[in-house]
Parts: sequence; structure tokens; C-alpha cells
Amino acid sequence: MRERLEQSGRDQGFWARVSRQFRANRLARWSLRILYILLFVAFFADFIANERPWYCKMDDETYFPVLWQYGEGLGLIKPDARFYNFDWRGADYQAVVFAPIPYSAISIDDENMGYNGPFEKQNVPSWRFHHFLGTDEVGRDVAAGMVSGTRTAMLVGVVAMSIAALIGIFLGAIAGYFGDNRFKISRIRLILNVLGLGLAVFYGFSVRAFALAEGAFIVEVLKSLGICFVILIAVNLVAELLKRIPALGSKVVIPLDIMVMRLIEVINSIPGLLLILSVVGLISRPSIFYVMVIIGLIGWTTIARFVRSELLRIRKMEYVEAAQALGYSEWRIILKHALPNALTPVLITLAFGMAGAILLEAFLSFLGIGLPPEQVTWGSLLNMARSGFSAWWLAIFPGFAIFITVTVFNLIGEGLTDAIDPKRSK
Amino acid sequence: MLKYIFKRLLIFIPTLIVISFLAFGLSKMTPGDPVYAMLGETSEISSAGGYAHSQQVYEETAEMLGLHKPVFYVTLSSSAFPDTLHRILQRDHRKNLVKLIQQYGNWPQIDHYYQALQDFQASFYEVDLGVPSNELTKVGVNLRRLFTVYEPKVIQSRLDTIEQNIQQERVLLAELGPGFKTVKDAFQDILRKPTRWKLYLPDIKWNGWDNQYHNWFAGFVRGDFGISYKDKRPVSDSIWEALQKTLLLNVLALFFTYLLSIPLGVFSAIYRDSLFDRTTTLILFILYSLPSFWIGTMLVVFLTTPEYGMNWFPSSGLPHLPSDASFIQRFWAMATHLTLPVFCLTYGSLAFLSRQIRSSMLNVLQEDFVRTAYAKGLRPQRVIWKHAFRNALFPLITLFATIFPSLLAGSVVIEVIFNIFGMGKLTVDAIFDKNWPIVYTVLMLSAIMTMLGILVADLLYAWADPRVTYGKKR
Repeated sequence: MRERLEQSGRDQGFWARVSRQFRANRLARWSLRILYILLFVAFFADFIANERPWYCKMDDETYFPVLWQYGEGLGLIKPDARFYNFDWRGADYQAVVFAPIPYSAISIDDENMGYNGPFEKQNVPSWRFHHFLGTDEVGRDVAAGMVSGTRTAMLVGVVAMSIAALIGIFLGAIAGYFGDNRFKISRIRLILNVLGLGLAVFYGFSVRAFALAEGAFIVEVLKSLGICFVILIAVNLVAELLKRIPALGSKVVIPLDIMVMRLIEVINSIPGLLLILSVVGLISRPSIFYVMVIIGLIGWTTIARFVRSELLRIRKMEYVEAAQALGYSEWRIILKHALPNALTPVLITLAFGMAGAILLEAFLSFLGIGLPPEQVTWGSLLNMARSGFSAWWLAIFPGFAIFITVTVFNLIGEGLTDAIDPKRSK
Repeated sequence: MLKYIFKRLLIFIPTLIVISFLAFGLSKMTPGDPVYAMLGETSEISSAGGYAHSQQVYEETAEMLGLHKPVFYVTLSSSAFPDTLHRILQRDHRKNLVKLIQQYGNWPQIDHYYQALQDFQASFYEVDLGVPSNELTKVGVNLRRLFTVYEPKVIQSRLDTIEQNIQQERVLLAELGPGFKTVKDAFQDILRKPTRWKLYLPDIKWNGWDNQYHNWFAGFVRGDFGISYKDKRPVSDSIWEALQKTLLLNVLALFFTYLLSIPLGVFSAIYRDSLFDRTTTLILFILYSLPSFWIGTMLVVFLTTPEYGMNWFPSSGLPHLPSDASFIQRFWAMATHLTLPVFCLTYGSLAFLSRQIRSSMLNVLQEDFVRTAYAKGLRPQRVIWKHAFRNALFPLITLFATIFPSLLAGSVVIEVIFNIFGMGKLTVDAIFDKNWPIVYTVLMLSAIMTMLGILVADLLYAWADPRVTYGKKR
């Protein structure tokens, strides 16, 4: 009896209720399971599809080639000259365990070039090497491409949405909490900060432009950021001293809410796809990294709007007023008291945002813009179907993967909406 | 209301200006020299008519593009940079000089070196030995490289090579020797008298109103979008042609979306939880999640090629008909070509819109006035369409603002897949061709269209619902 009571007491918590509600939704439950599978595939992509065997024994020596690949990638193991351009499939093994899909996304099977379908006769040594989803024009395995595409899609979704969440939560929080008239700083601090920002950009980036362009990029950027940081700190210390002078210390109100909302308006006015296309088109050395960053930099507006409206509500709550009365600093109230209660709707937007980001990445690689040509993704596979009409497997499988992933995230978003705020959904 | 419109328009302008900064800034970051892009292949100008002529052609083109003016109203740089740097028209030369300034900070010496180099080049092109000379060619190659190298060691080694080459032949030494000495001395001068401290002095310069940004934006407002690199036609011509096709596609899609989604949404709200409602909801949800570029690709692969025996639609692109084709022929050709793209554009927003209509109808149907209307014995048809639907209209209006931009973006995909030369295809092609004027004009125009869409939706909303006030925020 007592256990039961304790149990029910625990079930009353917010998250317990949300997760119960979420699990009661069959579609959402299944979507979550599929998402786990997708994440598993993305994480262990190298072990699922790889031309290198998991384990092999050659000339009485034992190798773990997949693990070695990681070691080489991290620079821990010196690459073995013997395995440079090594024909893993044709080698003489004493014992060998291949990956489930014994091809890498970029490994070319010369024997099966020119769109070899899943049900056609393939020129392979045994069924173990059959291309179960066919090959493309140059003989790359489509199944392996799909696995590598899963990794790309998940990576883009997670990284882009993390960037978007960081920006969105920060800007939404300051806009909602401070509103238009609660952010006051002394006049001198405002002036000095604007000046300091200009100086920081000048000394951090303009003056160091040569070093930035010629030296090791990451190191130089960190140095530049360090310079900016030092200048801004110095400026604020000076402001702290000077604000005792009454004329300089008088407070100025900064309408943060209007500023953030205007910024959101500007970004929303530009069709995101076109903006991404025209920015990505500028990059001379395409990389998935830029795509992620750009999607993240554009995609934060919805999150910011949600957080803002939550904080507009929360800042009038008694516990926030209590915290203010206790004299806690504003940042502490935002971080420790207001934000944790505003983050639940962010989860919903994140789920929908992941779907959007994955769709965008797929579309960009479908057009062949922004990603390096040798990178195999769902979009690039689908694009190949446009030139090889006979290869129906190229039209169906990658598109289906995009569809499933997008639907899974949309359903999780719907499920979360239902679970978190039953009133909002219909 | 008037005051509200006025206020909205006032906000419109700064937003537009911020977006124009963005578009202009991006257009200045494009790789490659716009003059060469405009002139075509680099070899074309350097071979035809000699050096002096090619220089002249280059300068004229640069001036036609307005590149001889400062970039922006103000320049924020260090005091080491001269305010006349924009007058050096050649983009790669200018970039190289900037690198030199960033290293040494002594513009007078660097300027002197650059002038000496140019004089030396001019005298180099005047040398006429009568017979082809290996040494002379080598000097030419190294000389051209000198304009684009900035590392002191590399410059020195190039200079040394040239010196050796010149000393090989007596004629060359006589013709080029003095000029070369000036170059060499000028370079030594740069190394000897660096003024690096100047780099650390910030400097703001006012460039006046006659600058590249100002002229670009003023031209944009007048409808002059510049000249396309690829076919040398005004950008506005290509865009106008493309816009017609995009608008045709989008208006049709918008029409079918509203035509189908209204009955679907209304009926599934009336027969809530019936089999009809559940099936349409499920189907619409699946449609909503189906990426249109997947469906489009599948339709192209399966329905427009003879590969699978379902060659029911003409292959992609819009038809080119002879001018004497009859209306029926014209209509039929357009209809068969447009069916698939319009379908692809329609189904996504159809799903979205009818779900919205369903939920807003559900809300209205629970209201008291609907119950009253039923109670006083009005026919259900009348209650639904006259009383309930009217009040459920608001989301239709606001959603126009969300649907229109997403349709515009969506048609990028569809145009590429179905090979329709609309705005989207134009942009994607322009990105591949590095035809930047088109890319940034489309970016600006679509931003303006989106803003107008939002504005119109807001105004319609205010007009349709008198309760909406646009005074001070609550």
C-alpha cells in the first residue's frame, strides 16, 4: 500500500506525466524506436558498412582493420604501408569476419559498374558480397551509401539544431525576460561597449587579417577571439570605474525585445532556402561543416520565439518575483529559475527543426551544392536517379529513408506537443 | 487602420535596407574577378590586340560595372591603407597589394613598387627582338606572377630569376635593365622602411554618396538589376521571363490547394472521427511528410520515361509551340506538361492547409452561435457555410503569408526537377555558372515578395476581423 502511494506520488511529477502521455501515443512510441535505430546506424556506420573486415588473419598475423581505421584517423596508429590501396575483398585470408555490408560508401566495385540492380545477376564471388540495394553508375554500393547518408543526415540535424538552440534560447530568453524596458545599463557602459566592440573587431580581426589568412586557421581564430575578449573585459572594467561619475552613470534602457524581434523579422523575410543556396554557393571548398553552421544560423528564429513567449509568461510568476526580491542577479534568475521551466516547448521545436534541417541537407546534396562531390548522402543518391532512369532503386530507397526520418521527427514532435500541452494540440 | 499601414510600411524600409546590406555584402564576397567573368575567358583579352589594348578593355569594363568607385559609404580600416585603393581596378592586384600592406604598412613604398612594376611591364611589352626569345618569355611569366605574390621570399626569388634571365642577353639588359633596377630598389625600399605601427591605428573614412552600394541599391529600386555575366543581357530580362513561369506554377498550385483543402478540411471537421475523417487525416499526414523532391524525382523517373512502360506524361520542361498553334493545342500541351509539377507543389501545402482548416472549423462548430443557428432550424448546409465557415476563415488568410514564401522556395525544387526555367531553376543554374548578379537579385526580390506577402496577410487580417487592433502591444 505504502509503495503504491509512493509510486503514485512519483508519477505526479511533470516529466513522469509527459513521458506517460508520450508513451501512450502509439505512433510516437514507434517513431522513437525507429529514431534509436537510425541513431545506432549513424553512430556505428563504420562497423555496418565497410570494405575493411572487422577482424582478419593474414600471414599468421591478426588485424582489426576497422578499429585501425579509427586509430589512423585520430593519428594514434601509424598507417601501415601495406594497406595503402589494399584490395580488401580480394585478399587471401586465413580467417576473416566482414562487416554486414562489405563495402564502404566510396569503394568502387569495378565488376558491377553501370547500375546493377538488386535482383539482377551480379558479378560477385558469393552471396555475402551481393549488392542488396544495387549499385550506381560507377559501381558504388547503394546500401553502403545509405548507411553513410544516415550518418550525414543525423550529424547535420544534431549539429545544426544545437547551434540553432544555443542562439535561439539565448536571444529568446533575453528578449522575453527583459522585454523592452527592463534592461538598463549605465550610459558610459553602453558607449564603451559599442566602442569596445568596434575596437575588438579591429584589433582581433582587421589587423590580424594576414595572420588569419596565412597561419593555422583555428589557432589564429582562437587568438583573435582572445584579443576581443580581453578588450571587452578591459572596457567593462573601465566602465565600472567611470560610472561613479553621475553624468556618466545615469541609466539607459535598451529595448532588447524589439531588437530581437526585428532581427527575427529580417531573417524570416529572406526565404531560407535561397539564402542558404546563395551563401553555400560562395564557398570554394565545400564541406558538410559549413552546411551545418549555416542551417543553424538561420534556423534559430522559431526556438527564440517559443522561449520568448514562455519567458514573458514566467517572468510574471511569483517565484521569479520572489527571486528578484531576494536580490539575485538577473542572469542567475534567468539561468537557474526561469529558463529551466521554459525549455519544454523548445523540445517540440527541436524535433520539428531536426526534420527541417535533414530535409534541407538532403535537398542541398540533391542539387549538388554545398557538399563535396565524393560525399555520398541520401540526397546525392537520389540525384543519381535523375540521370539513370533505369535504376529504380536509386529513386526509391534514398527517398524513402528521407521520408521515414522526416516523418519520425515530425511524429515525435506531435507526440511531444500532445504530451506536454494537451490543450495546444487538436 | 491607415496609421497601422503607415507604421508597417515604415518598418518595411529598414528591414529591406538590412537585407540589401546582406545581399550586397555577399555579392562582394564572391570568388573570382567580376571583370573577367564579364569578359569571358582570361585568354581572350590577353591575346587579342596586345597588352595595352587588353588593359584598356579591362579598365573600360571595370568602369562600366562601376568598380572604380569606393565600395561603401564608409571604410573602416587601419591608417596604413590609402583611401584610393579602390582605384586599382584589377581585383587580384588589389588583393595582393592589401596583403603587402598588411605585412609592412608602408603604402607610399608599396605604391612606388607597384608603379615600378607596371612601368616595367609596359616596357617589357615594347621589347621587340624580332626573333622569339626563350629568355624573354621567361621574364614575362615571372613578371606576371610578381603581381600576385606577396611573400617577401617568393618575390625575391622571382626577382632573382628575372635578373638572371635579363643578364643572359645583352639586348634585354639594355632595354629592361633600368626598369628592372627601379623595381628591385622599390622592393628593397618596402623591406627597409616598414611602418607597421600604422596598422594599429584605426581609421574611419567617409567615401561620399557615389559608391558601389549606393549605385547598386538605387539601380535596384529603379528596376535596373545589372547585367548577367553569362549572356550579357540585363538581369531584369532573364528574371522577368523566369518570374512569369514561376508565377504561373505557383498561382495554379495555390488555386488547387485552396480549392481542395477547403472542402476536405470542412468535411472532416463536420464528420469528426468518422472513417472519412480518419483516413483523410492519415493520408494528409503522410502527404505532408513526403519530401516533394522525392515524389518529383519518382514521378519523372517512372511516369515520363519509357523505361517502366508508364510513359504517360511528356518529358520535363515547358513546351515550345509554333506560334500558329490553336488554343486547344496550346492548352493541352501546357496542361500535360504542368500536371506533374503542379501536383508536386500542391500536395504539401494542401495537407498543411486542410489540417489548419479542420482545426479552426472544429473550434467554430463548438461555439454557441452555431448551436443557436441549428436550434432555430436553419438547414445544416447554411449553418456550415454561411455561419461557421465564415468565422473559420481567418487562418486561411494568415496562412497565405506562410504558404506563399514556402511555395516560392518549394518551386525551386520542382523547377529543377521538371526542368522549368523559372526563378528557382534560374538561381540554381546561376550558382553553378557563378553568375552572381542573378543570384543576389533573386535573393532580394524573393525577400521583398515575402515581406509583401506578410504585409498583405496582416492587412487582410485586420480588415477581416474588426476585433484585431494594432495599437500598443498589450
